Amino acid sequence: MIEVLGRNIFSPLGADLEQNYRAVRAGKSALRLRGDDSGWRGIPDRAVASLMEDGFVLEGFSRFESMVISSVSDALSSSGVDPESPKCIFILSTTKADVEGLEQGDSQYLSPAAAARKVARHFGMVNEPVVVSNACISGVAAQILAARLIETGKYDTAIVCGADAISPFVVAGFSSFKALSPQPCRPFDIERMGLNLGEAAATIILGRSCTAVRDSRSERGMTADEKDRWYLLSGALTNDAYHLSAPSPSGEGCFRAIVSALSGFPAEKLAAIGVHGTATMFNDQMESKAIERAGLSEVPLSALKGYYGHTLGAAGVLETVLLMRCLEDGVIPANRGFEEIGVGGKVNIVPEELHTDRKAFLKMISGFGGCNGALLYSREPADYELIAQADAHSAEGVNGSGTNSWTIGHKVRITPVGFELDGISQSFDTPGKPALTALYKQHIGDYPKFYKMDGLCRLAFVASELLLQDFRTAETGKAERAEASELTSTDVLIFNRNSSIAADREHIATISDPGNYYPSPSVFLYTLPNILTGEIAIRNGFTGETSLFIAEDGGVCDEILEASMASTDASRILAGWIDYRDDDSFGVDLKLYIRNQIA
Amino acid sequence: MEELIYKLKEQIIDALNLEEITPEDIDDNAPLFGDGLGLDSIDALELIVILDKHYGIKIANPADGKAIFSSVAAIADYVSKNRSK
Repeated sequence: MIEVLGRNIFSPLGADLEQNYRAVRAGKSALRLRGDDSGWRGIPDRAVASLMEDGFVLEGFSRFESMVISSVSDALSSSGVDPESPKCIFILSTTKADVEGLEQGDSQYLSPAAAARKVARHFGMVNEPVVVSNACISGVAAQILAARLIETGKYDTAIVCGADAISPFVVAGFSSFKALSPQPCRPFDIERMGLNLGEAAATIILGRSCTAVRDSRSERGMTADEKDRWYLLSGALTNDAYHLSAPSPSGEGCFRAIVSALSGFPAEKLAAIGVHGTATMFNDQMESKAIERAGLSEVPLSALKGYYGHTLGAAGVLETVLLMRCLEDGVIPANRGFEEIGVGGKVNIVPEELHTDRKAFLKMISGFGGCNGALLYSREPADYELIAQADAHSAEGVNGSGTNSWTIGHKVRITPVGFELDGISQSFDTPGKPALTALYKQHIGDYPKFYKMDGLCRLAFVASELLLQDFRTAETGKAERAEASELTSTDVLIFNRNSSIAADREHIATISDPGNYYPSPSVFLYTLPNILTGEIAIRNGFTGETSLFIAEDGGVCDEILEASMASTDASRILAGWIDYRDDDSFGVDLKLYIRNQIA
Repeated sequence: MEELIYKLKEQIIDALNLEEITPEDIDDNAPLFGDGLGLDSIDALELIVILDKHYGIKIANPADGKAIFSSVAAIADYVSKNRSK
C-alpha cells in the first residue's frame, strides 16, 4: 500500500500547505490582469494570471528551479524521508520546465531532464530523476508512476514535484488557442470564458506503508499523525484517441480513467471529486458527461482553478494535496468563480463551502494529446481492501489468459542516415528530416496529417507505423485496425532526452519580435512533447495509457517500462526512445512488446 | 477578387501544410471543414492567424470563425470588407 509522507504547495498564496490552505478557506486568489497597454514581458498579449512575486529566486537557480527546490525542501522537512537514500527517487512533473531560459538564449537554458538532475543533486539524491511530461495530466501521471516504481521494490519513497513557471512562451501559446479568459476563470459556470494560467510548485512524497519507513520515522523522533495519513489506493491513465487538443465530447477517455481508478469503489464513500475544471467550454462540459456516466452525479465537486488558475504541470499535485488538507478538516472548499451551472452532464457543484465526514476522494484530470488520468485517495486503510478485491477480480477476468511476461514483437531503429526494422537495415538516399518524408511516402502515404506534424512527431509517427504496419499485415491485417477488442489493449510509453526542443525554438521565433508577433496554435501544440503519443493513439485507436518521460539516462527508463509491464492491463506496449534535437540530429529505438498468453 | 482568392489559397496551403494540394484543387465555394478539405479546430485557429498576419484582421472569438471560414470565397469576401493591410 502507498502512503503519503510529505506535502507542500509553493504558490503566490503561500510557501507551505498551511498558508495555502488558509488562503483558500479565506477565498483569496492571486489571479489578476497582468501587464499594461503595451503588453506583458515583451509580448502584446495580456493575461489574467496567478504569478509569483519577485524575491523567491534562489542564487544559482532559475525561477522554475527555485520553485521546485522550495517546494521539495518544505515537503521533506516534516516527512522523515531521507532524500539521499538509495531507495528514494525524484519525479518531476512539468510541461515546460525552464523554457523561459530558452526564451532568453541558449546559455540560460537547461532541458527538463537537466533541471531535474540539478535539483536532485542539490538534495544529495543518488538516483537518476525522471521527468513526466504529459501536458496537463503530468501531476497525476507522476503520482501513478511513483506508486508503480515503489511497488517494484526498487524504491521505498518517491518525491513527486509538479511545477511550471508562466512565461511569455505559454501565455502566447494559450492565447493563440483562444483559451484564455479575459476575467478570473469560472469553472463549470454558464458564463465561463476560458482558463487563466498560474505558476506554482507542489510536492507530494509517497512511500510504501512498511515498517522500514515507519522505523526510520520513529528513529528521527517523529510519529505519523493518524489524522494526516493518506493512502493512494489506485490510479489510471487513458487516451481518448479522438483529437490532439479537444477532449472527446462524450468524455470517453475521462470516463474510463475514473471507472478504472475506482475499481468498484462505492460512490457513497467519496467525499468529493477534484475535477480538472479549467473553465474552458469543452473541458468542463466533457468532465460533467464523464462524471454522470460514471454514476457520480451526487458526489460534490471541487474545482480549484478559481484560486490558482491552471498551474499546468503542478495542477495534478497541487489540487490533490490541497483537497486532502481541506478534507482533513471535513471541508470541501468553496468553488471560487462558480455561480450558475453551465454544463450538460448532471453534476453536484455549489459555490459555497461544504462539510463532509467522508474520508476518500477522486482526483481527475485531462489534457492535450487526448490523455486522461484519475487517482483514488483515502484516509481509511481498510478502503484498500475494496480496491484490492476489485483488482484480484479483474486479474481473474480481463487478464485471465495473460501472463506477466512479454515478447518483443518488432523493433525499429531510425537515425538521420538510415533505419533498421527487425534487424534489416536500409540507408536513406537523403539524410535528415527529408528522409522522414521519404519514409512516409514509401511506406505509409495515406495520412496527410503527417505534413502538419513537427519533426519530433513525424519521427515518432513513421517509427510507429513501421512497427505496426508489419504487425498488422502479419497478424491482424490493416482493415481490422479499429476492431473494438484491439482498442484498449495497447499502451504507448515514450522516453526522450531533449523534450520538444525543436518545436520550442520554432514557437519562440514566432513571438520574440513584437512587430512580427504571430504565435501559431499548431506550432505551440507541438511544444508539448507528449503530443507525439496522442498522434500515435489517434492514428491507431489506442485508448490505453500514453506517457512521455524525459531523462538524461536510459537506466531509469528501463525501470519505468518494467514497472508499467507489471501493472498494466494492456496486451501490447509500444515503448522506447524517440529523440529529436534538430532536423539533422534525431534517433529512434522503439519496440512493440506483446504479452505472452497462457498456452 | 479572383487574385485575392488565389492568394488566400496559397496562404492556407502554406500555413496548414496541405502538402499534396494545389490552389487549383480547392473549390472556391466548397466547405473547408468537415467534408471538403477536412480541416479541424486547430486549422480554424491557424486561419485566424493568417487573417491577422496578412490582412490585419483580428478575430477574438473563434466561434465567429465558423461563418467567415465556410469557404475560400467567404473568407475572400470577409477580407475584402475588413482588411486593414
